[in-house]
Amino acid sequence: MKANFKILLLCLSLAAVLSACSEPPEIAAKVAKRPDVAPYMGANDGFMTKGWTPGNQASWTEAINKRNQNQNEYSRVK
Amino acid sequence: MARMKFICDTERCIECNGCVTACKNENEVPWGVNRRRVVTVNDGIIGQEKSVSVACMHCTDAPCMAVCPVDCFYRTDEGVVLHDKDICIGCGYCSLACPFGAPQFETKGAFGTRSKMDKCTFCSGGPEENGSVAEFEKYGRNRLAEGKLPLCAEMCSTKALIGGDSEVISSIFNQRVTTREKNGKYAGGQAFGWSTAYGGPGTAEPTPTPADKIPGAK
Repeated sequence: MKANFKILLLCLSLAAVLSACSEPPEIAAKVAKRPDVAPYMGANDGFMTKGWTPGNQASWTEAINKRNQNQNEYSRVK
Repeated sequence: MARMKFICDTERCIECNGCVTACKNENEVPWGVNRRRVVTVNDGIIGQEKSVSVACMHCTDAPCMAVCPVDCFYRTDEGVVLHDKDICIGCGYCSLACPFGAPQFETKGAFGTRSKMDKCTFCSGGPEENGSVAEFEKYGRNRLAEGKLPLCAEMCSTKALIGGDSEVISSIFNQRVTTREKNGKYAGGQAFGWSTAYGGPGTAEPTPTPADKIPGAK
């Protein structure tokens, strides 16, 4: 009986101690990773290039790949 | 789906540090932090001196992500490894894990206390709203969302540094290597850091893409 009481006391004190290690939900929400917006959604800063539609992934990819060819002299200088 | 990567052609890099300057200016990187830097090996040895522009390579299995105790890193759909500065605690583990020395820390205060980590974002900002002031102040410009590519690569005078979709840039690089080889010059086909960043030892270098399959090519 006495041994059981000791174990119960130990469990309760352990639970009390470990509760200090838990993370309150408001803190967890604060540090939760914020979802990043995909680049093809565009940036509302007035510096966007023309020739693609914000929100359209295919048009963004095409525009980026086309722009990528500016780094290729073999396709720039012909 | 684009998979963004960098290649630095060591046969072309002339150590002008234009990429370093462009990055610092475009992203208003704090004093003491260089997201990109140029490393030269075999300095002064004729024919063996090579320079390479190094920054975060946005690794496939990024070690920084693996060691971060607060899990502040994330990977975008474009394969860009980014981090959330609101979560980062500036412990420096990422700096020790990175094979390219990409993570940088601004030294603040009288006792040299470290700030939150700063690194190349492939000019794609961070978790703040695209193109917002908050994003710019924390992470720099979000050129990808503007339909542009990283400025370091776009302004490279010799086009040694190429950045963009891996399929496109590896085809550009391969075209150069093949041309050099054809002209009897040293091919220089080793894409610096690619096997470390995008595969284990023995991983093949970029494979040529047929001209008609190159996305965006004329």
